[in-house]
Amino acid sequence: MTLLTEELAARIGEERVYTAPEALGRAAIRYFALATGDTDPAHLAGDVAPPTLICETNQYAGLPRDDDGYAGHGWHLDVPGTRLVRGGNSYRFERPVGPADVITARWKLAGMTERVTGGGKRMLVVTSVATYTDQSNRILAVNEETLIYVER
Amino acid sequence: MSNGDLTREWTIGLPDMIAYAGATWDWHRLHYDTDYLRERGLEKPVVDGQVFGAYLAIALREWFGPDAVIIGLSFRFKSLVFAGETIRCVGTVTREEPGRVELDLRVEAGGGRIAVAPASATLTLP
Repeated sequence: MTLLTEELAARIGEERVYTAPEALGRAAIRYFALATGDTDPAHLAGDVAPPTLICETNQYAGLPRDDDGYAGHGWHLDVPGTRLVRGGNSYRFERPVGPADVITARWKLAGMTERVTGGGKRMLVVTSVATYTDQSNRILAVNEETLIYVER
Repeated sequence: MSNGDLTREWTIGLPDMIAYAGATWDWHRLHYDTDYLRERGLEKPVVDGQVFGAYLAIALREWFGPDAVIIGLSFRFKSLVFAGETIRCVGTVTREEPGRVELDLRVEAGGGRIAVAPASATLTLP
């Protein structure tokens, strides 16, 4: 019995594209800076976004909340007998983001690999890549995210 | 820049978590809903792991100044952090050359527990 079924493997390469319905906005930048205790005057003024903001916000997604209250991108993978834990993120920042930028996030389901934990449990490591662009299609940032489905 | 560890602390209260949930449009119940948490055997709201990216970025800019530009930031989650805990971002310069610096990073939580590691960043400097 493998966690990486044919059905799951067939989904590798899937993409979802979300374009925000409005510009990021000065208030969104200022709110993020205040919420994180940022002391940078340019962030607190809403002139320039803190670098990780576009990788952390769900503002662009325009999705309804699910039963858990989550309203961001997800692949909704069915991996029976597992629990989902976050692995980590790797961000590459290409250019500053300002309040007038309209963000598009292009998510790609880049890969899935089955491994075994140190404790002998199987796990499915799912790697996604989000590429964020502005209204001129210039790359702002790239976010490689790892999610791990660990056998219960 | 000193060769010793660079540090920056935050105490993450529930109001901070609520503010972050609003600022990121992420209203997952793990971060505030006590009934939801109890059903899953958790005693306190769980800090959204994504916020550690923001905290590390703030720490980096405080350590290296507002003109430093973060071009890369990577981090792995090790353990959950709960409402009310104090976390400490720790950085160690691993490579420094004119106009560029690289660091190893980690986030520690209560009792020296590692919340985030390994982690690393690359910055360009003026």
